[in-house]
Amino acid sequence: MTTHLSATVLNALVDGELPVEQFAATKQHLDQCPSCTSSALSQALLKTATARAGQRYTLPPQLQERLRRITSSQELHTPLDRHDSSAKIWTMRRIASLALPIAAVLLLLVSSSLLMQRYGKNSERASIEQAALVAQILDLHIATLASDQPPEVISSDRHTVKPWFQGKLPFSFNLPENLPADTHLEGANLTYLHNRAVAQLLYSIGRHRVSVFIQERSQTSTTQNPQQAEHSGFHVTGFDTSDLEVTAISDVDPSRLAGLVRAIEEAQTKH
Amino acid sequence: MMALLPWGVSKTKRTVHESVGGPSTFEDLALPLLPALYNVASWLSRNATDAEDLVQETFLKALRGFDSFEPGSNFKAWIFRILRNTYLTSRTGLRAQRTVSLDEQLEEQRDFGPAIYPEAAIDRSTPEINLILSADRAALHDAMEKLPAPLLEVILMCDVEEMKYKEIASVLDLPIGTVMSRIARARAALRKSLEAVTALNRESRA
Repeated sequence: MTTHLSATVLNALVDGELPVEQFAATKQHLDQCPSCTSSALSQALLKTATARAGQRYTLPPQLQERLRRITSSQELHTPLDRHDSSAKIWTMRRIASLALPIAAVLLLLVSSSLLMQRYGKNSERASIEQAALVAQILDLHIATLASDQPPEVISSDRHTVKPWFQGKLPFSFNLPENLPADTHLEGANLTYLHNRAVAQLLYSIGRHRVSVFIQERSQTSTTQNPQQAEHSGFHVTGFDTSDLEVTAISDVDPSRLAGLVRAIEEAQTKH
Repeated sequence: MMALLPWGVSKTKRTVHESVGGPSTFEDLALPLLPALYNVASWLSRNATDAEDLVQETFLKALRGFDSFEPGSNFKAWIFRILRNTYLTSRTGLRAQRTVSLDEQLEEQRDFGPAIYPEAAIDRSTPEINLILSADRAALHDAMEKLPAPLLEVILMCDVEEMKYKEIASVLDLPIGTVMSRIARARAALRKSLEAVTALNRESRA
């Protein structure tokens, strides 16, 4: 017996992943090989110790509660909820038949309470979604800065960049003819935000790089575009039109970033 | 490849029939996995704030894309795959990818051949077994922190989350053979780190 079990076989053994036929052969080998038996024991102990040590971080209760509320807030839109509302209205009618003025006041109170509750849950969800949007935009911007690859379309000419997106995006947008001082269009990428096709315009302001993400305004999204946000030293700003959501991110001075965003916003109203 | 997640708000009340048991909602399936997602996210990002961001983003993506989840398939593997893909495009994920050395990537191709253990009589107190028995949790934490991200994630899924090789391969989008070689490398690296700690302790006592 000169060939010992390989590390891969020993690992598969302790992980319970050995195929049946190989397991029989391995067991036969272990019965005759004290060295491999020690090694298998060592692997099993290491696995157990790692499993224990790996359970290290405890979920913060506030995060759990926040995420639980996100799922429960969507229940407001389910048919079950509409059934509950109908029951409340039916109860109100019974009261109304007895005392109409009291019912009117009660109805007002209940409606206000439901509206407030719904508004509170929706606004909390919107703020969480907005934070997630900012985090994802920051990741995309940093990935672009870190990439050695040039933009998919390299041009400072808006008449080259805008047509490049034809057929790639299900919407269109305008690019400003005049940019603020020391601001240049460098190119653009087709990228994805929440798995939706998005235009990423790349500008430079002085030596600072700017990413401007333009996406179609979603009918179902509750996310509000951040008017002003800070994340890890980067400034995020944007605007919404009836069709588009535009978000810009850079480490440049916020007023200069705002100047570029204003120029893009004004371009959307021109034809 | 992971199915594209639709942008629209999904219905959390949509039910799916798991292969075992009755119908389940997103809430039923996802909320019990939050502690595991947060634990793995914390190990990978090594920062509480980034871990919270990572879990939250994963949760929202999963919620939106729940309509694309195939009933009867493995929800845990599905949501861990979203976590892992989200991590890869995060700042810490990009940084970790850049710090994996070429040597480590080349090493991945190496076959773990036979006969790596010296011949010895069966002994329940070999230096190796004693090493693991004597290692405290802090030493193991240090050893795990030293693992490069590709090895750490595979050992977390295998040992901590008790996923099968096939599930891990699905989460990481890798062949099973690569998963097996990474597990072998991760355990070898852990053992090496523990040996170094033991040697240091021995020197300090001497």
